[in-house]
Amino acid sequence: MKNWSVQVFFMELRQLITYRADFWINFFGQTFISLTIAYFLWDSIFLSAQTKVMNGFTIQGMIFYYLCVPLIFRVQQGQGIGFISREIYDGGLNKYLLYPIDIFKYKTATYLANATFFLLQLFFLILVYNIFFYDPNVYSFSLLAGIKFLILLVIASLSFFYLFLCCELMAFWFDNIWSLGVILRFITSFFGGALIPLAFFPNWAQEILRLTPFPYLIDFPMKALLNQLDTHQFLINTTISIIWMIMFRFLALSIWKRGQYAYTGVGI
Amino acid sequence: MRYLRLYLHFLRFSFSRAMEFRIDFFFRVVMDIIFYIVQFAFFKIIYLHTPVLGGWNQQEMTLFIATFIFVDAFHMTVFANNTWWFPISINRGDLDYYLTRPVSSFFFLGFKEFAANSMINLILAFVLICYFLVNFTHMYELIKLPLFFILLINGAFLYFMTFLIFLMAIFWTHSPRGFADVFYSAEKVLHRPDGIFKGYFRRFFLHILPFSLMASYPVRYLLESNSNYVLVETLLTSAAIYFLVFLIWKRGLRNYSSASS
Repeated sequence: MKNWSVQVFFMELRQLITYRADFWINFFGQTFISLTIAYFLWDSIFLSAQTKVMNGFTIQGMIFYYLCVPLIFRVQQGQGIGFISREIYDGGLNKYLLYPIDIFKYKTATYLANATFFLLQLFFLILVYNIFFYDPNVYSFSLLAGIKFLILLVIASLSFFYLFLCCELMAFWFDNIWSLGVILRFITSFFGGALIPLAFFPNWAQEILRLTPFPYLIDFPMKALLNQLDTHQFLINTTISIIWMIMFRFLALSIWKRGQYAYTGVGI
Repeated sequence: MRYLRLYLHFLRFSFSRAMEFRIDFFFRVVMDIIFYIVQFAFFKIIYLHTPVLGGWNQQEMTLFIATFIFVDAFHMTVFANNTWWFPISINRGDLDYYLTRPVSSFFFLGFKEFAANSMINLILAFVLICYFLVNFTHMYELIKLPLFFILLINGAFLYFMTFLIFLMAIFWTHSPRGFADVFYSAEKVLHRPDGIFKGYFRRFFLHILPFSLMASYPVRYLLESNSNYVLVETLLTSAAIYFLVFLIWKRGLRNYSSASS
């Protein structure tokens, strides 16, 4: 009973690989197509700008960036929209309120299972890249950089989880919050650096973004992987990431406490 | 005529349902406006670093962005909810209900849900495209405009049909969403000008996964002087895709095993 959250974690993981053909086709299909689009877009940009290096990125560096970033983003997305709001709408939340389990722990375990699933895919891709295409000019792989990356990614994922939870819990008051989740995705992908590296943003925009949680979600973990963060920068960024995470957790818990009073349990 | 009457009923139901969820109505408008802003900002940032992309300057690109926003809004309004329910209906066996009706089951499953709450965004997208067309400083033939909009509506329809190909895999895989994830990755081609793609990939995105036909080609049709090839290629590819969807649907139905699937 003590380890029920671990069991939930593995149960969720097993469920994710139930449809294996789907899994492999979606995995390779997504990776191949995302890379193809990124390659042609940036090749065209480099060609028309008549340069080989832009804002610290070569075309090879850009390919590596777009190889990792979609999966970093997916690690943070976890279960996707509706993982708790759906249960608020259809009354499924009742069971968590009646059973002697902590819903936060339960949802965190299922979320982490999904995140781990995509993290394994990310590791697989980095491994394949390092074996067959490794180029020290693109990034210098080191174990320390890998650990820094992992630490920042875990904190970023939890931050996003709590931020996402705040949106999901709005379901206690609003009749449909699907769009709210999509809005959060658009904003985090753009301001986090999933659509375009933040180094390409104008300097004033980069300065403003540093005051927001978004660069800590994608850009900084990616910089850690690329070995572009020294120990001092890493420590500062990790501290700020943790502060954001605690703030979002506090906010989510407050909304949850208030939301329970608004919950009717009958479903729409 | 019977189908038109039926569709009008679908519309009526959709509007009355949309009115029930007013907050969602508001959120959807905000969501799409943010999507539009993100798209414009994305290309604005790119044009800070290059004068031309895929053969188009910033003004031509702005028109292209408005164009794919229109295609997206049209799809979101007319088809998107159907694509959401499509695999669920098949996996849960709800298709039984449609198969026993004296109407095409494909029509029921593909057109029943009209997203009235996205209607505002479609109007907004239309206004946006008109605004950029009015303020466009390059020359284009006004006579081409009606066909340009027909090509855009065909683009939205083509998007829907291409999505169905990925979703109909569930007739065989019985998985929750088929190959929807691959589709969502591939649909980003729609948001990129066709001019950036080269060689076989260009052909691939024009004729096999025809995302470049949906928004890029209509813009080409409008801006280029000798653009009849756009019409021919769009017509042939669209017909091929529609026929393929029809074929897969027929085969899929043969494989459909009701609620147990």
